[in-house]
Amino acid sequence: MYLTRLLARLSIKHICSILLRQKYTVLILVLQIALATAVLSNGLFIALERYKTVHTSSGLDELNSFFLTSSGFTDSFNPKNSIQADLAKIRALPEVVNVVKTNSFPYSETGDEFGLTIEQDNQNPVNAASYKLDEHGLETFGLELIAGQNFTKNQVTWQSEHDKKFAAQILLTARTAVALFNTEDWQSIIGKPIFIDNNQIVTVIGIIKKLHGPWAKSEHLEHSFITPSVVTHNSSRYFIRVKPGLLEDMMNHIAHALSLHDKQRVIRKVTSLSEAKKQVFGADLAALSIVFTVMGALSLVVALGIMGASSLKVFKQTKQIGIRRALGANKFDILRHYLLENLMVTTMGILLGVFFAVTLNVLLVNHYGFSKLPIMYLVAAALVMYLLNILATLKPISNAIRITPVTATQSI
Amino acid sequence: MNYTFELACKDTLKQPYLSTLIILTISLGIAACVITYGLIYLMSADPLPEKSDRVLHVQLDNWDPNKAAIEPNLPPEQVTWQDAVNIVAAKQAKYQAASAITWGMVTPTQKTATPFLGVMRATHGEFFSMFNAPFLFGVPWQNNLPNQAQYVTVLSKDINDRVFAGENSVGRTLSMLGSTFTVVGVLDDWHPSPKYFDMVYGAFSKPEELYIPFQIKAELSLPHGGQTNCWDTSLSDNYQSFLNSECTNFELWVEVENLTDISDFEFYLSSYVEQQKQLGRFNRPTNNKLLNIKQWLKYKNVVNKDMYAFFSLALLFLTVCLFNAATLISTKFASTRHEVALRNALGASQQAIFLQSLIQALILGILGGLTGWLLSLVGLKGIALLYPNFSTFLTLDFALIGFAMGLSILSALFSALIPIWHLSRTPIAKHLT
Repeated sequence: MYLTRLLARLSIKHICSILLRQKYTVLILVLQIALATAVLSNGLFIALERYKTVHTSSGLDELNSFFLTSSGFTDSFNPKNSIQADLAKIRALPEVVNVVKTNSFPYSETGDEFGLTIEQDNQNPVNAASYKLDEHGLETFGLELIAGQNFTKNQVTWQSEHDKKFAAQILLTARTAVALFNTEDWQSIIGKPIFIDNNQIVTVIGIIKKLHGPWAKSEHLEHSFITPSVVTHNSSRYFIRVKPGLLEDMMNHIAHALSLHDKQRVIRKVTSLSEAKKQVFGADLAALSIVFTVMGALSLVVALGIMGASSLKVFKQTKQIGIRRALGANKFDILRHYLLENLMVTTMGILLGVFFAVTLNVLLVNHYGFSKLPIMYLVAAALVMYLLNILATLKPISNAIRITPVTATQSI
Repeated sequence: MNYTFELACKDTLKQPYLSTLIILTISLGIAACVITYGLIYLMSADPLPEKSDRVLHVQLDNWDPNKAAIEPNLPPEQVTWQDAVNIVAAKQAKYQAASAITWGMVTPTQKTATPFLGVMRATHGEFFSMFNAPFLFGVPWQNNLPNQAQYVTVLSKDINDRVFAGENSVGRTLSMLGSTFTVVGVLDDWHPSPKYFDMVYGAFSKPEELYIPFQIKAELSLPHGGQTNCWDTSLSDNYQSFLNSECTNFELWVEVENLTDISDFEFYLSSYVEQQKQLGRFNRPTNNKLLNIKQWLKYKNVVNKDMYAFFSLALLFLTVCLFNAATLISTKFASTRHEVALRNALGASQQAIFLQSLIQALILGILGGLTGWLLSLVGLKGIALLYPNFSTFLTLDFALIGFAMGLSILSALFSALIPIWHLSRTPIAKHLT
């Protein structure tokens, strides 16, 4: 009984008949909302996945680091002497946190990977990226040691580029340690032997919280290890970390100072780590900006469309509203009428939109191997549509409320 | 007819804000579609259309008997030094060339040029003919016998500009890698996109600066650039042991004369692997892969799968824009209904009025299409800025311009026909009240 009275008061029947009379306008609105829901839910899903890949942190001090290459080209060039002199010179600068000669670093996309095992002749090794650094490596990269200790200066070995041997100590990332030993009791891992490529034995002396491998799109990004050695090449890469805010100046300063200091080599590829990261993720950034632009433009267009349609409707119905007011309907009734009408149209659009969104997602899953659209993205898109709808109809509805009963007597 | 057209033009100008809004709405949708479709189209463009089905990428499975090089059971993407040398020397195809990236110091004796580290491609002379590399001066060198090394080089245009000030440098000498090389050729600008013959540094990376004969890499023990994959870890330290090893570092391509020769070459490859098995190599089941350029690009997923998703989202976005434009055009028509009724009452035929509306809607649609096309140019420029590696191929060609124009006209018709259909169903009497 109460329910029928409530329904009568809400005048749903009345609204339905009005909507039916404007089939054309309502149909176009519903389709727009439906398509927008499909685009928003799938677009949000793809954008968020991409955002996750681009905004990972490698474990390094990304904002204050850069690297450069020193390439010797004369016969008398001695790589070891050159590296030692360069490192000492850079470390002496007060603006520099630390510097290290490295074979590789995150986002460099070049490096070596080896299979680690805890017993010899295991056919399923844990593949991890190899970093060869001296005792300054941890500070330069800005890594956190969660167990054990860093290398000492005496443990660091110098080797030629063709020497494939590893030093006797190893630092593992936490993820690598878990993959190998299947435990998070770090202390129990310290001192344990492991095998590299089944033929070299090394001892774990410490665990690093986090350090990515050099390949940003690797499937096991956090599998890496550090051994204490410096490899001499005619071409050497230095990785330099400076104090906050000094990056730009120090890049120029150090490159210039090194060039002047030794003329048997050239300094090249002076690049900040954030620039390297940008290079690696260029395609993803381009993709993200496309998705965000499309979604932004879409929301704007749909909002404008709804606003236009409701303004037109209120304009066309001015006289009817006036008559209703004259017959005793108050402002609240008019407000409720339009809000309810909107809610019904939007809900119809969203329901159809969920169908569209799922269809689109099924197509993408079947043809291009995308993952399934989680339901929360549909919910999010629906909420955005309701919100857009409310914002877009604020002005037209407030116009409708302001129509006075006198209008009924005027002719338009 | 002229009169109708004039009236339509006047109507378009009558409500400038509404007209602008309609044009912008259509243009946004079209720009989104053209940009996303353009990226797919440009990325998947055939880089060697004359013979992409006859130029083949060679893969052999020399991997660890216990483990595939790439899951599921795929051969490595590159070949070993010994296989590269053997297959090129066998000359079983029209052209054959192996190649790898390497680098070394270039120390020009010219006073104007400073020493620099040159990125080089060590390859066979047939590389240039196979990939249609354009020569500005000179010609490629000949494929040499395996153990013969000629100290010759082909320069990119950039390097020739830098060292020889852009002159014809054929026959002149260039000192690099500690030796003296004779320039035999200079390439014109050459940026194959995608760089299908070696995508180790990305499908849209820059081509190398200098080209040297393959055998020079061994002669001078040049570094192994690109990607090196090894499975047999009992490798000693010297350079020759790397060349004799099962490590893969070399891209191997061949061109056959006719499509019918592909099966002959496949047969040759399997007999080559058979013969190597007798020598104790290739301990996995024979698993050769011979892909032509298009198949190779597909295999390497050069067009990111996301692009297809973006294109479908953009198409839906365009549909939304068109529905919206249709509503706006309806509004525009509604505001002139008194005028229409008046013209009707004065005896204008229903046809003339219909035509006037159609022309007006088409004008708006076409203007929207043109604006959309301009917007997509701006958008593609923006993407090239965001991702500099794309800039070499991001240009609108005729096919793409055609796509944009076709889409615009279809969109214009679509967004115009809905309101016209609606208008034509409204009885005249209703407007006259």
